Amino acid sequence: MDRRAFRNGHLWGVEVTELVRLTDITKVYQGGMTGALNGVSMAVEEGEFTAVMGPSGSGKSTLLNLIAGLDQPTTGSVMVGGSDLGKMGEAPLARFRRDSIGFVFQFFHLLPNLTVLENVLIPAQLKGTAGAEARGRDLLEQLRIAEVADRYPANLSGGQQQRVAIARALINQPSLLLADEPTGALDTRSGDQVMELLMQLHASGQTILLVTHDAKLATRHAARVISVMDGRIVDDARLESPERAPSEVIRVRSEEAL
Amino acid sequence: MSLKYGLLGLLVEEPLHGYEVKNRFEAMLGGTWEVNIGQVYTTLQRLERDGLVRPAGERGDRGKLLYEVSDAGRKALNEWLAQPESGPQELREDIYVKLLLAARVANGNLGPLLSRQKRAYLQRLRDLNQLEARAKKEGRTDLARLVRGALLHTEADIKWIDELSETGISGESK
Repeated sequence: MDRRAFRNGHLWGVEVTELVRLTDITKVYQGGMTGALNGVSMAVEEGEFTAVMGPSGSGKSTLLNLIAGLDQPTTGSVMVGGSDLGKMGEAPLARFRRDSIGFVFQFFHLLPNLTVLENVLIPAQLKGTAGAEARGRDLLEQLRIAEVADRYPANLSGGQQQRVAIARALINQPSLLLADEPTGALDTRSGDQVMELLMQLHASGQTILLVTHDAKLATRHAARVISVMDGRIVDDARLESPERAPSEVIRVRSEEAL
Repeated sequence: MSLKYGLLGLLVEEPLHGYEVKNRFEAMLGGTWEVNIGQVYTTLQRLERDGLVRPAGERGDRGKLLYEVSDAGRKALNEWLAQPESGPQELREDIYVKLLLAARVANGNLGPLLSRQKRAYLQRLRDLNQLEARAKKEGRTDLARLVRGALLHTEADIKWIDELSETGISGESK
C-alpha cells in the first residue's frame, strides 16, 4: 500500500495510517429533516476503499459532508489527517477542503462557461500551485478525455463530464477522495467506466470513500462496506476477495425428471 | 435449468458426440454446472427414444456416435424457448425457512441472524462482481449474463433482509 503523507501542513512528511476518525457524531436538523446522524463512530485508514451504503435519508451523505468539512456535527468530533475540523477556523477549513479533499457528486457541477481544462484547474488556481496546467493535462490523459480539453461541458457526454469532475477532484492531490453516488446520473456503461477509474485510483494508493444506496456498486471494488440506517452505523463488513471458481459462486442446476 | 433442452439446443447448431455436447453445455454455463457424462448419455438416449434426436450415420472411431436433431426435436425446442417461465417462484435456500422459524423460537429477535445473513449476501455480491469482471475481461458473454442475473437476485435478497430489519418479523406473524 502506498502510504502517502497527509498534505495539510500539520503532518507534512509524517506517515499516518488513520486518515479519518469520527467519534460519537450526532447531527440534528431543525424541522426534522432527513439525513440526521445519531451516535456515529468510525475510522478510515489511508489507502482504504470504503463504501458507505444506505437508503436515501439514512444519513450517509451527511456523513460524507461532515468528513469533507462542508458541514459541522451537532456533537462529536471529526478528525481528518490528525486535525480536528471542529477546532479549525473558517479560512483553514476552506484550505483543508481545497487541498486535502476531492469531492465527486452525482451531478457534475461543472462551470458551463469554462472549458474542460479550465474547470479542472479551478482548485489548483485557488491554491496557487505551479505547474498545474501540465498536471491537469496529465490527468485528462489518464482519464482518457485529453481530446476534449478545450471543449465546453455542454458538448460532453455525462460520462465525460463525470471524468472531468474526477480530474478536478484530483488536481490538488487530495488525501481523500469522496464520491457521493458518482454513477447515479450515468448510464450503465459510463457508470462502469467511472467505477473502473475509481478502482485504478485506489490501486495507485488513493484513499476513497464511496457513498451509494446500491449494494452491487458498494461491493464491486470496495473491500469494506459500512451500512447506515436511520442515522446509525448498523454494520461494518470487511469483505474477502479470493478468486473463486464459477461453481463456488453460482449453481445453475435443478433436479430434473425426464 | 434443463439439461434436456440444453443438449437439444446445442445439437441444433451442429451434430455432436456425447462428449462434445457435454463440453459445450458446460462451456455455455461458464463452469457453473458440471455434468456427469453418464447423465448426458442417458439424456441423449431418452431424447432419441422420444424421437427428438437421432444418430447421424454409423459409429465412428472408438465407437463415438454423432447425434443430430430431428424435425420434431426442432419443434419441441422452439416451443420450449417460446414458453415463458410461469411456474411458482422458487425459494430453495434455507434462509427463507430459517427466518420464519427464528421469528418463532427467538421471540422475534432476528437482529443478529439478519445482520449475519446480510454480510453473507454482501460477500456473495462481491464474489459475483469479481466473477462478472473476469467473465467480461475474458469475453465470456454467456457467463457474464448469468452472473448479472445472480447479482440482481442477491440485491433483491438484501432488500428483503433490510425490510425485515426495519419492520421486524416478530410474534404477530404467528
